[in-house]
Parts: sequence; C-alpha cells; structure tokens
Amino acid sequence: MLILETIDLNGIQSLYTISNRLNFNDIFPNKVSIWKVRNNNPLRKSYLKNNIRVDEFDALIKITVEMTRYLYPYIREILQSKEDLKNSSVIWDDFNKRFTELIKERFNLDSMRVKKLLNQTKNDEIIINSLLTLSLCISIEGYQKLKNFLFDF
Amino acid sequence: MQNKLSFHQSAVTLEIIGLPDYSNNENKDQISIISQWKLTIINKPLIEGKIEHLEPIMNAFYMYSNLLIKNEIPIYESKLIDIKAENLYMHNIVLKSSKPDVKPLILKIGNSLLSDTINCFDQLKESSKIRIKKTDLSNNISKKVRFGLNKKVKFFNFVLPPFIAICSLIIFSAPFIYFYNPIEDKEKNELINLNKG
Repeated sequence: MLILETIDLNGIQSLYTISNRLNFNDIFPNKVSIWKVRNNNPLRKSYLKNNIRVDEFDALIKITVEMTRYLYPYIREILQSKEDLKNSSVIWDDFNKRFTELIKERFNLDSMRVKKLLNQTKNDEIIINSLLTLSLCISIEGYQKLKNFLFDF
Repeated sequence: MQNKLSFHQSAVTLEIIGLPDYSNNENKDQISIISQWKLTIINKPLIEGKIEHLEPIMNAFYMYSNLLIKNEIPIYESKLIDIKAENLYMHNIVLKSSKPDVKPLILKIGNSLLSDTINCFDQLKESSKIRIKKTDLSNNISKKVRFGLNKKVKFFNFVLPPFIAICSLIIFSAPFIYFYNPIEDKEKNELINLNKG
C-alpha cells in the first residue's frame, strides 16, 4: 500500500474513495479506520496490535487491487524506467526518493527490516518485486492472486 | 467464418481465432475450438501458434512469474519455451519451434512487458466468450522447475527424521551409561549363583 501511496500523492483520500465505491462503509466508516487497520503492520512507527479482522483484511486487499488497476499505467512506467540500465531514469529516481521519504516518515527506523528497505541495493529489489506483484493482480481474480501472494510471502 | 477476439494490455495484444462448438448449442460469437492465436508485443517479433502451444506458453509465464515473486531462482525450461532472468529487470525468452530446421525465437522483455503479457493471459482466462481447457498448472511444470520447488522440502523430509531418531536415541541412552556398571552386574550374578549353589 505504501507503494501505491508513493505513486498517488493523495493516497489516503484515494483509498477512502475506493473503499466507499466498493461499499466498505461499514468496515471503514472514515479515513482513521483505514489508518488504524494499516497500523497492524509491525514495521510502522505507530504500530498497534489490534488483531485485524478477516473482513478488514479482505477489504484492504480488495481496495489495494482496485487502486492498482487505476495506477497500472504508472506502475508500468516505473517498471519500464528501470529496464534501460545505461540511462539513469528520472521517473525511477523520483519514485525511489519519495518511497524512501515515506518510509523514514512512517516506519520504525530501528527495525532491521526497515533498515533493509532503506539500503540502496536491497531497496531496488524489494521495490521491483512489490511493483511486479501489484501489476500482476489487476485482473478480475486479482484479489485472490494478491491474497495468495501475501500468504506465500 | 471464424471468430476473432482480442485482449489488450498496454503494449501487448493477444488475438484468439476460432469457432464456437455448435454441437454444444453455443452462441455464434463464442470461441471453443481455437484454431490460431497471435501474441503481439510492440517492437518484438510476432508470436503465433496453435492451441496446443498456447497452454504450455501460458503456464510457462505463470510459473515463471510465481518464481520471480517468491524470490526463487527464476528459471523455467520446457520443450517449447525457456524463460530465464537476465537480471532484476530483464528476462530472456526462447521459443522453440516444433518444426525441424526452424531456429528458436529469442526475445528479451522487461518487467513491464512481462506483466502486460500475463495480464493479457488473465483476460483470456477470465473471458466468458472463450472456453479454454483449464489444466492443472502443476502438471505442466518442467522437471527442472519441479525439482527447484520441492528441493528444500524433499531434502528435509529425507534427512530430518533419521537425524531426530539418532539424536533421541543418544539422549535417552546416555544416562544409562552412568547407571549400568558391567563389573558390578557380573559380581551380582556370581553372588546369586553362589547362593543358589
């Protein structure tokens, strides 16, 4: 989700709009409820062990898939920008810079896994892998695919 | 007159040509008997073939992308198609023709074209207008990939049980070394024999 927020500058608003469009008003009545569920991520600074419910988890995946569909052209562009190794890409550099900024802003920097995310060589691999995973989940069965990928992770 | 259906995703187009199965009372715009398919990737040579080639190629792409995402060694090899990662961003595809004396077609695609291609295959699989035999993916995995996937599990399954058995045997039998004294036992037996005598 942080990858999607890196692309969409107005990420949290988009997530909330998509949540409403998918009729998840009962699960996520406001932006704070989405934020609370996202705080189940132990890498976050504001980590809270809320025990995420199955319906919240499913809704979050469906929102992610729907948002990925909208952002697919951008995701594709970022992936493509890294394919030409000879030329340094402005698109990739901008994306990477903003992603790193968001990690520093929201994630617990003392965590080893977060440090790995900020490591330049490891960082490329993680970003490419995450972008590719998202880009493969835009079909109708994308929700199931992303869920399977997450369980295998 | 044959039906033609196209699936597009950014720089990739998949075209399916075929006929409906009239014996099953299908609509005339349905395709159940695929006679030909074409995969067009912008700035790359056209890939085309018959139905028997489509399924192995689709499976190869799905298997390969799964290996990529799971951070396993991304290599897929089969009689028809080989896919290997050149680096984190580029992938080499070798399509081998079933006809003799036809050189294999070598393609180099990036992550963007790889995801476009797989999304086209997803659209085909999900299309209600095309009936494609959905075979079990695992049946079409090449031996090399299959070994790669199960290597860890098989190795541990093979080594772990005897290892645990030997360890537990040592742990349980070790204390008895201190309790059992063969000389003392011999003396006891001799005493018992004397008493009996």
